[in-house]
Amino acid sequence: MERTETLTTPHPWAWWCWAIGIGIAVSGTTNPLLLALIATAVVATVLLRRSDAPWARSVKAYLVLSVFVIGMRVFFQMLLGAGTGETVLFTLPQIPLPDWAAGIQLGGAVTAEGLVNTLYDALRLAVMLVCVGAANALANPRQALRSVPAALYEASVAVVIALSVAPQLIESAQRVRKARRLRGDQARGLRALGAIVMPVLADAIERSMSLAAGMESRGFARTRGLPVRGTLPLMLAGSLVATCGVFLLLSTDHRLLSVLLLLGGVAAVLLGLRRAEATLRVTRHRPHPWGSRDTLIALSGVFAALIVFSAGGDWGIGWLMASDVLHPSTDPLVWPELTPLMLVVVALVLAPLPLTRVRPPQATTSLRNDTRVRSLRPRPEREPELVAR
Amino acid sequence: MTGLGAALPYAGPRERPATGARAWLALLVAVAVGAVAFSWPLFLRPESGMSATQAPVMFAVVLPLVLAVVLSELAGGRMDAKTLAMLGVLAAVGTILRPLSAGTAGFELIFFLMILAGRVFGAGFGFALGAITLFTSALITSGVGPWLPYQMLSAGFVGLFAGWLPRALGRAEIALLAAYGMVSAFAYGWLMDFSFWPFAIGDGTQLSFDPAASALENLHRFVLFNVATSMGWNLGRALTNAVMVVLLGVPLLRLLRRAARRASFVPANPARPLAE
Repeated sequence: MERTETLTTPHPWAWWCWAIGIGIAVSGTTNPLLLALIATAVVATVLLRRSDAPWARSVKAYLVLSVFVIGMRVFFQMLLGAGTGETVLFTLPQIPLPDWAAGIQLGGAVTAEGLVNTLYDALRLAVMLVCVGAANALANPRQALRSVPAALYEASVAVVIALSVAPQLIESAQRVRKARRLRGDQARGLRALGAIVMPVLADAIERSMSLAAGMESRGFARTRGLPVRGTLPLMLAGSLVATCGVFLLLSTDHRLLSVLLLLGGVAAVLLGLRRAEATLRVTRHRPHPWGSRDTLIALSGVFAALIVFSAGGDWGIGWLMASDVLHPSTDPLVWPELTPLMLVVVALVLAPLPLTRVRPPQATTSLRNDTRVRSLRPRPEREPELVAR
Repeated sequence: MTGLGAALPYAGPRERPATGARAWLALLVAVAVGAVAFSWPLFLRPESGMSATQAPVMFAVVLPLVLAVVLSELAGGRMDAKTLAMLGVLAAVGTILRPLSAGTAGFELIFFLMILAGRVFGAGFGFALGAITLFTSALITSGVGPWLPYQMLSAGFVGLFAGWLPRALGRAEIALLAAYGMVSAFAYGWLMDFSFWPFAIGDGTQLSFDPAASALENLHRFVLFNVATSMGWNLGRALTNAVMVVLLGVPLLRLLRRAARRASFVPANPARPLAE
């Protein structure tokens, strides 16, 4: 079952790459028309391509969160807005504040300019959240975990242990509660918490002991070689350089230098991780292949980000799409424009649709429960009914 | 394997295992990078052309790499099957406790476990437990996003500094851990709020982050914003930590220490990497 699934579904990291690319593209614009189109395209892709796994339902929670973010931002803007702009919509009563909060004023005039500015910015954040939700809904977390670099093998083993022990703990808690009820223990509240938590934790630790014994007896971590010399300094220096790059990117206008530092640091860390893999001799059980389709899905996200950012900057294809189209003015208020290049971005968001297939609804996970399989099974012959004696 | 671990034939999860020089270095780099990543509203300048919405996302690219380096060093270099199994199981407990307690007025049950485990098994284990608990629970609740590296790092710090607390015994230890629980709850809340403050409120209001204003002015605005919105949450989280440490601290420390002692036996055939 899983074999066929890995062949028909894109690689989880391809979905993540697609979603992150769109998220970065979204972060570079406040044009509400573009944002609304991208959000619609993302939600459409999710609805058409998600599986029926539990994580596929998460996109709804992210949509609710997005609406909440917009609502909260608008609320704060009305309550605390500095009141820029001239078009006053209505005026809230003002509330005096104590001295230590000097300079802050609650209530006051609510302007259309301030409100629209907040709405644009909140919409951008909301669409970024939708992108994150799309990746969560489309990518299979267990598959993604199986394709982490081998240098993180031990850490991912710990995560896998945690993921598989967690359901057992719930069952363990139910067992403890049942045992307490059978003993007639009526304690409630904090006392009951201790009476449940301690046995469950003791059980969990017992479990970890027997798990470790099982892992040891199967030769876990016995194939680990000595670390490659100089790998850790390289990785640590790389992370420090990348951090410096981001620091410079945010605090100065030396764009080129900081981007170079960032890329150099990231490359050094990746190289170090690659070299650290040499110490481990581990094999993967049925690795998810990365095909050309996955590359295309990932590239569609990358290109979406590139188009928006090279259009927003002074270099690249700025002549195709002006910066003020990506960031429509809110003071004075103007109607946002939609340019052909934006439709290209939206098309890139939709690119995974022709590249992937609709999943056939899988109602059953085990062959045993499949009615078609069951109907093929040989059935006991009906005994010939005896004619009434 | 350099450092102390190589000299010993077997480094089980003893009480307070000696963290090797390599792991120390990795943890120090994590603290340094974390300090920069969490304090970005203090140094973002308008002339950089980056908006406040993009800044945390930029760090969300770098932080996973730093976490990968530190976790691969902590877990890969030093941990044997017993420590790893303990790490996984305790992370599972945290993963279960988080959705049980999520939301309601800062009643969060995951931190006391990290604090106690960091105290018993050491700073490196505490960091790994904090980071992996948050990661696993994000996988289960589909909560993976740009905020996850920040959460992993700050929860890792909660466990890390628990391992660096001074020696104390008996009631003094419980008092120390409860006090640390309160302090770390506030620190966690402030770090997370500070780095995602511009996200929460947006710009243009009087409590918003303003890149043009000075660092001190921004700090003042943040304090006002934090008092107004999330003081109750932080307080609730701090009280939860303290109450849980006082209630469950003694039996849980005993349980964990017993496990640490039981797991550290020296096998007849010492673990050696396979020569090839």
